[in-house]
Amino acid sequence: MEFKLSKEQELIQRTAKEYAEKSIEPIVKQIEDENKVPDEVIEGLRELGLLCLPVEEKYGGAGAGFEGFVVGLEQLARVSGGVGIFVSVVMLGTSTIAVHGTEEQKEKYLTGTCKGSWIPSVAMTEPDGADPRMLKTTAKKDGDYFIVNGTKRFITNTNFAGPMVVFAKDADTGRINGYIVDKFCEGYSISEPWDKLGSKGAFLSDVYLKDVKVPASNMLGTPDEGFQTLKVTMAMGKIGLSAIYLGNILAAYDEAFNYSKDRIYLGKPISQFESVRNSIVDIAMKYEAAKLMTYRIGYLADNTANKAKLVKDSAMTKIFVTETAVDVSRIAMNVFGSYGLMKDYKMSRIYRDAIVGPQIEGTANLLKTVVATDMYK
Amino acid sequence: MNIVVAMKQIPDLQQVRIRNRQPVLDGVPMTFGSIDKNALETALQLKEAVGGNVIVISAGTEELEDTVKEALAAGADEAYLVLDDELEHIESSVSAHLLAELIKQIENIGIILFGEGSGDNYSGQVGPRIAEILGLPEVGYVCDIELEDSRVKVTRSLEDCEEVVRVSLPAVLTVMADINEPRIPSVTQILKAGKKPQQILEVEDIGFDLKGDKKIVTLSSLAPENKRKQITVKNGEELVDALLTEGVIRR
Ligand SMILES: Cc1cc2nc3c(=O)[nH]c(=O)nc-3n(C[C@H](O)[C@H](O)[C@H](O)COP(=O)(O)OP(=O)(O)OC[C@H]3O[C@@H](n4cnc5c(N)ncnc54)[C@H](O)[C@@H]3O)c2cc1C
Repeated sequence: MEFKLSKEQELIQRTAKEYAEKSIEPIVKQIEDENKVPDEVIEGLRELGLLCLPVEEKYGGAGAGFEGFVVGLEQLARVSGGVGIFVSVVMLGTSTIAVHGTEEQKEKYLTGTCKGSWIPSVAMTEPDGADPRMLKTTAKKDGDYFIVNGTKRFITNTNFAGPMVVFAKDADTGRINGYIVDKFCEGYSISEPWDKLGSKGAFLSDVYLKDVKVPASNMLGTPDEGFQTLKVTMAMGKIGLSAIYLGNILAAYDEAFNYSKDRIYLGKPISQFESVRNSIVDIAMKYEAAKLMTYRIGYLADNTANKAKLVKDSAMTKIFVTETAVDVSRIAMNVFGSYGLMKDYKMSRIYRDAIVGPQIEGTANLLKTVVATDMYK
Repeated sequence: MNIVVAMKQIPDLQQVRIRNRQPVLDGVPMTFGSIDKNALETALQLKEAVGGNVIVISAGTEELEDTVKEALAAGADEAYLVLDDELEHIESSVSAHLLAELIKQIENIGIILFGEGSGDNYSGQVGPRIAEILGLPEVGYVCDIELEDSRVKVTRSLEDCEEVVRVSLPAVLTVMADINEPRIPSVTQILKAGKKPQQILEVEDIGFDLKGDKKIVTLSSLAPENKRKQITVKNGEELVDALLTEGVIRR
């Protein structure tokens, strides 16, 4: 058992941290106000290999595996939750294609993302909900094409060109499959962006697919592999979310710890109060626990041949880390008092970001039913 | 042309905490001194401008084999290292001797770069000492370098002026922190760093006896204790009076 980053992972962590502090931190407010990750940040991430951390080198990725991914994404999300979600969804799209895509699909879409200018999306959720059993979007076979129709809700990165993995029901067989749709093709349109409470910067909108013609060769996997594709996507998304909210916890930890030393009350720093010290210790313990689970799921993703098997472990990690992030933000806010509520203070952004985690990529309640089903089967 | 950069392994100063006026180094990862990174960046920019090969040299504990990946990730092509766990706290004269021996193993050297001081002791001695051992010209406090065939035009940043000198190659140059901004290594380069060539020597290979008589022993290197006066003032006028009394400002 080794609880230590390799030198390479330590350097990936440092590269992500330095880049985030140098090029993202100074413009976090702009990213939030404009609700957009600026092009120069996307290029910077791409050049440094931080955009496509786990993608294999032969497709232009960094080849850092999921261990490298969680370590790097933690540092990016520590500085901006919006950039965190943006990068995580790129991973989600590329991983789904990497696991079930054909060589041609990988060559085109992974290389186009890591080396070109594409930004992927994954569209599962619909107005009725995120549960695959409620899917209404359909794909109808028509010669060499599928005709896809439906509405997808709350989808990230819809404003960028690139592949979107759309989950839809076969109009004839009722089977669910993933289809790669080229965003902005004929029949693709999006709503105005949703204005969300936190994780601002990651563009979120609804997607309308009207008679979208998808080449039959763009279906992911074989027709009866759809459920496996779905499971892989579900697992991968949760690994991304865990790394983002680990970064959020780290941000709250840094902020609260430093504030406790800087804020003077009755002539002494508030870190002299036992209650404040205990709060900081609580945060530190929670960070360590969340970190162990997150790094472990990175390790499992690199060392599990069938990624669909990660559904339970990734769900447990995601529930734990995102709920811990909410706890930690509340504790950190209590260390700050009123100052933490002010928009000029980073703490307010961290708190708004934290609230988002448990509600996305499957709510905690829903995911607990997934875990329980596995435990009692 | 080979461009040699000497870099010193030190604990990551951002992660060092001070307890009882002593640094706590447990679990602190090793890195290179920050001005050494400027020296490396200088070498990389020269390489990008005129070609050549960037070779990092360093002497340090066994961990250095791992630490050097940082320089290789940033773009250095190879490394020549002296490894020995006895090399943890060595004086400048010993470092200079070991590094000079490493340099002798490298052919076709154009420029040998140093940071103006190491990240920990900042003695700034190793560069000049090596120039002396190898009989090479040395220019310190460099803030700009222009290559001209077999010479370089070098700008030195001195206290109240800049001095421009020409120096023939090979030469030893020590650079200032503001000469450039070191690049952030990409993840792809980080993952390739371990595969780049490393020549590793033991202290015995060089014929050096570390146990020999130490000429300099550092007994203590603490900043002078700074007693704060803790003067309390109630308003601006009192503040001005206090500053005047203390001689911080004058009428
Ligand atoms: C910032 C952001 C980014 C997003 N990005 C994407 C994206 O890129 N792609 C994408 O497809 N989606 C995305 N989503 C959508 C998100 O994943 C879903 O909204 C989320 O999974 C919750 O689904 P829901 O809104 O339908 O909640 P609902 O399913 O309506 O849940 C409402 C409540 O009912 C409970 N509940 C629902 N079903 C069950 C059950 N079976 N058992 C127990 N309790 C249950 C829930 O726990 C919750 O308390 C994003 C959302 C946000 C906010």
